[in-house]
Amino acid sequence: MLRKLNIRWVPVLFLLPSVICYVMFKYYPLMNMAYISFFDYSIVNPPGKFIGFANYTEFLKSTTFWQAISNTFIFFGLYLVLTFWIPIVQALFLYDIRRGNAFFRFMYQLPTIMPLVGGVLVWKWMYNPDFGLLNYWLDFVGLGPYLWLNDATMTKLAIVLPAVFAGNGIALLLYYSALKSIPTEILEAAKMDGAGPWRRMWTMLLPNIKFIIVIQFVAFMSSVLLAYDHIYIMTQGGPAGSTTVVSMLVVNSAFQQSRFGISGAVSVFMFIVIALLTIIQNKISAEKD
Amino acid sequence: MVAGIVTRATLAAVTVLWFILSLTACSGNNHLKLEDGLTDPVVEIVVWDKPFAGSAEKPYYDRMFQEFEQTYPHIRVIHMEAAFQKEREQFMTAVAGGEQPDLYNAAFPDMESYIDQGIPADITEMWTQYPDSADYSSIAMATAEKDGRIYGIPNFMYVTALAYNKRIFEENGINPEEAFLNWDSFAAAAEQVTDRSSNQYGYTILGTEWADWFYEYYVWQAGGDLTSKNSDGTVQLTFNSNAAVQALSYYQDLKFRYGVTQPNTLQSLDDNKKDFYAGRAATMITASNWFGEMLESGVDMDDIGVTTFPKGPAGVSLAQVGGGIWILNPNATEEKQQAAFTYATFMTSKYALEQMLRFQKEQGMLPNLLSVREDVDPIAYAEGMPEELVRSIQRAAEESRLEYFLKSRLSPYVSAAVQEVLLNENTKPYDALTQAQEKAQREVIDAYNMEFD
Repeated sequence: MLRKLNIRWVPVLFLLPSVICYVMFKYYPLMNMAYISFFDYSIVNPPGKFIGFANYTEFLKSTTFWQAISNTFIFFGLYLVLTFWIPIVQALFLYDIRRGNAFFRFMYQLPTIMPLVGGVLVWKWMYNPDFGLLNYWLDFVGLGPYLWLNDATMTKLAIVLPAVFAGNGIALLLYYSALKSIPTEILEAAKMDGAGPWRRMWTMLLPNIKFIIVIQFVAFMSSVLLAYDHIYIMTQGGPAGSTTVVSMLVVNSAFQQSRFGISGAVSVFMFIVIALLTIIQNKISAEKD
Repeated sequence: MVAGIVTRATLAAVTVLWFILSLTACSGNNHLKLEDGLTDPVVEIVVWDKPFAGSAEKPYYDRMFQEFEQTYPHIRVIHMEAAFQKEREQFMTAVAGGEQPDLYNAAFPDMESYIDQGIPADITEMWTQYPDSADYSSIAMATAEKDGRIYGIPNFMYVTALAYNKRIFEENGINPEEAFLNWDSFAAAAEQVTDRSSNQYGYTILGTEWADWFYEYYVWQAGGDLTSKNSDGTVQLTFNSNAAVQALSYYQDLKFRYGVTQPNTLQSLDDNKKDFYAGRAATMITASNWFGEMLESGVDMDDIGVTTFPKGPAGVSLAQVGGGIWILNPNATEEKQQAAFTYATFMTSKYALEQMLRFQKEQGMLPNLLSVREDVDPIAYAEGMPEELVRSIQRAAEESRLEYFLKSRLSPYVSAAVQEVLLNENTKPYDALTQAQEKAQREVIDAYNMEFD
């Protein structure tokens, strides 16, 4: 006997606009990108000649691509080591601050309303070897001037540095909210049982906000692996390609070299890499639970 | 309860319908319709030529736009502003999205790649029927032509030369004529005028993402080029030829041996210009259409000297000719193409170009001393411009050439090699150029040459 299909139409109808938008603006470009990656794409008479996996083999053989991949993962490592943990620590401190808590939350949030371009340009000015603030300070202690954005070994760090000082206010707020949702009775009980601050942090606070950390890590990973705007503003991928990341390669292939097929193929590759990393990360985190 | 569900369902349905209708309305076409249902005879074209905000020439363009409207009432031009210094990327985005403007000003070096991709319309028929076609510069026309077909209308041209700050040279007791004789004398003079304690240096070197732009002149002056085109259409890279290596070694010497460049060799072209205008840099490569900008920046033109480039090891001081070409959208209707052609030829007519020169003269602005039309003489409007400057530009134009072939595709490779050498005095120019050549061969040239097999 067939089971009667009972569809609740109201939620379906309310969801429909967002589903349509998602399909139109997320899935359609994604599918289209994958589709054009199999063509020697002609911008005037799309899609051009079908060439199978030739775009994929071409970029995988290109040293420019591997340099960009290497740069991208070095950036990922730097951001992870230098910035990812900062909002977690800030939230833990903030959680224990009773007086002036709202003021600190406000102060942490304030930089998030500053346009990214403005912030990056200020840092670029600070790095200027002739009249930048950092070299001015270095001059006081008899050092410098240092060419922050000219030194291929230092440039990546110079790009990451602003994120260390002006951290992620939204992430901080999320961690803080998650901490506030932990029932205070449990923490009080732990205190009474003699658990010190370190123990409470490692065994109670952090495990309770783990789900937010995992979500934030996935978002962090894709945002760093696909980073473009602030790197472009700082260095345009230079000096000598030392800060050219994969997303920059995607844009350059398409809009400077008119090779949309290659651009699509690299995008698909990055999509697969990020998806795989997310799956692995979720698996590890589920196993630990 | 049933009524409540029906009401909620109706509400949801109305919301969805409203959303879908909004989307449909957004994607509606914009054909002009008269009230009686007939199509408006006015042809509407989109042109990316709106002057940038703050442009001193805006009043001229506004007047010419108005004159065009009056002369050709059946053509309605929508003037759009392109992103400053990012118009190439913006244009390619528009083309990829099926929104190519009906008329676009393409840079000379991009023409070859655009023609290969079929981006500009073939306007040979319109061009051969155009009575003024013979009056346009043959150098500019060479970039708009391929296999006997015409793909564009020359819009403007410039030639490059070396600008120097007369005051700095006088203060240091240097005779410019002797200083700009050859590479060695130039380096010696630049070294003499460099004074780090007063933040003054000899030469603004270009090490940005466009580093190959000025570097190529030095390769020419050393007797070579960065690419060579074979008779069968294929291309051979000559990045590590003797001339290219000599030129890059000279670049490295200017930075490390003589120490005459700005400390931040990767600073933008705009920052280089600012240094020169502010009197921090003694010399800078300039173009014949940059003098207006210099004057607007508060530079006293009596302090500025212009000369041809110092001769390189090959004994030549070759300069570069560049500019823009109007290209038409090949997918536009015949009427739109005809309208775009009419507009482009109007804006580059003898009348329009002379109006521009007259306007600049009236405003005390310095004109571009190179014209795309041979029947227009900008020198006649260069009143008040130092004679020596005019002569130098004329001399530079006599000994000039177009940029290296396939520049639009090879630029990132050459620029990376230039940057490597400017950042590290231990980097060997030959090695950097060889590495760049091998990379470019694999990633660009092999595929390009295969098209000719």
